[in-house]
Amino acid sequence: MRDLIPDDAALLTLIAQAQTSAFNQLYDRYNRLVFSIAISMLGDRAVAEEATLDVFVQVWRRAGTYRADQGKVSTWLVAITRHHVIDILRWQKARPESHGLGWDEATLQDGLVTRAAEENAELSLQRERVREALSHLPSDQSEVLMLAYFKGHSHSQIAEVLAQPLGTIKTRIRLGMQKLRQLLEEE
Amino acid sequence: MTDDTHVLELLPAYALDCLEEAEARLVAEHLRGCLICRDELKAFQNVASGLALAVPQAQPSADLRLRLMERIRDMGSATSQPARRPFLQRLVPVAGIVGLLLIIGLAVSNIRLWQQLVHLDVLAGPLGMRAIALQNTEAAPDASGIVVIGADGMNGVLVVDHLPPLDSGREYQLWLVRDGDRTSSAVFSVNESGYRGVRIEAPETLLVFSEVEVTIEPAGGSAAPTGEQVLAGSLFNR
Repeated sequence: MRDLIPDDAALLTLIAQAQTSAFNQLYDRYNRLVFSIAISMLGDRAVAEEATLDVFVQVWRRAGTYRADQGKVSTWLVAITRHHVIDILRWQKARPESHGLGWDEATLQDGLVTRAAEENAELSLQRERVREALSHLPSDQSEVLMLAYFKGHSHSQIAEVLAQPLGTIKTRIRLGMQKLRQLLEEE
Repeated sequence: MTDDTHVLELLPAYALDCLEEAEARLVAEHLRGCLICRDELKAFQNVASGLALAVPQAQPSADLRLRLMERIRDMGSATSQPARRPFLQRLVPVAGIVGLLLIIGLAVSNIRLWQQLVHLDVLAGPLGMRAIALQNTEAAPDASGIVVIGADGMNGVLVVDHLPPLDSGREYQLWLVRDGDRTSSAVFSVNESGYRGVRIEAPETLLVFSEVEVTIEPAGGSAAPTGEQVLAGSLFNR
C-alpha cells in the first residue's frame, strides 16, 4: 500500500504543473549530485551553490520538456548541470585546474563530504559501480576523461594541457569510454 | 565496429562534448538519419552521465533550498505557454522591463509593425531599445525571430515563432557570438505553434556581442554548437 512514492519522471510531470511539493522532492533527491558536480568543476563553494540554484530553476522552467525516452531524469539533470557549469567556466574565462577536485581525492575539506542517510540507494549503488569501473582504467585514460568531462575541454585543449599529440588524446578518450562502457555493461 | 558510413569512433568524444566544432557538426548531421549511431550514442551518454556520480560527494548549504524556493516564488507560475495569443501578447518576453517597454513601444506604433520587422534588420524603438529581426535558414524556412535589447544592453529577450517543434531528445539553443566565439545563452523548446519567448542570459552587456544564432542541439544543450542553424542575425546596424 506504500507504493506511492512517485518516480523521477512522475515528479517532473507534477513540477510542470507548478507543484512545489514535487519540486522539493526532486531537490531532495538530487541537490547533492548537482552540487557535487558543480563544486568539482568550479572549485568554489559559493559559485557552485549559485550554479546549483540555476540548475534547479532550469528544472522548474523546463520540467515540461522532459521526455522519458530521452533517458533517465538523472541523466537529463547531469547534462543540464554540466552544460551550465561549462558556460560559467567560459564566462570566467578560467580553468581552475588547481581548485577543482579530482576523482581520487578521498579526503576533502572539512564539511564537504557527507553520508546523507536519505541518499537515494540506487544512486549510491551506481556511484560505487562507476568508481569501481574507473579504478580499472589506466591513469592516462581516466585523466583525459576527467579533463573532457569536468573541465569542458575539447580534444585540442586537452592535448595542449597535457602536451600530448592530438591523436594520442583522441585515442585515449575513445578507449577510455569504450572500456568504461564495457565494464558498466558487464554488471 | 568500424564502418565508413557511420561515425561510431567519434561517438564517445561526442558524448563528452569534447569534439572540435567541425567534427561535432558532422556527427550531429549524421545522427539525424542514423538509428544505429543514435543508439550507440545513448549508450555512451549513459556512460558519460555516470562519470558525474564518481565525483566526491558534497553537501550544499542548508539554506540553499530556501533561496531556491524564494527564487521560484519570484518567478511566478511555471505553467506552459498558451497555444496562441494576440500578437502583442505573443511578443511578451518571459520577464523584465524590456518586455514592458516593447509593449509600450508597439502600442503606440502601427499594428503592422510586426510585418515590418521581418523586413527590417534592425529597428530602433522607444527609450533606446533595439529590435533585431533574425533571418531563418533552410532548416526552418517558416521561422521568424526577434531579439529585443534594452539601451544599456543589460536586458534582452528572444521571441521566436513558427520554429518546428522538435522530437524528444532535441532542443533549440541560443548562442551569443563575439570574435568567433559562441557563448550559450538559453536552451529552450517551443510550443505546438513554434512560439517561445526567452530571456537572453549573458555574462556581460549584450552590446559586446556581434551576432546571435539559434541551433538545434541535443536535449539539455551542448557546450558548443553542433547542430543545424535555424535563425541568425547581426546585433548591429550594417
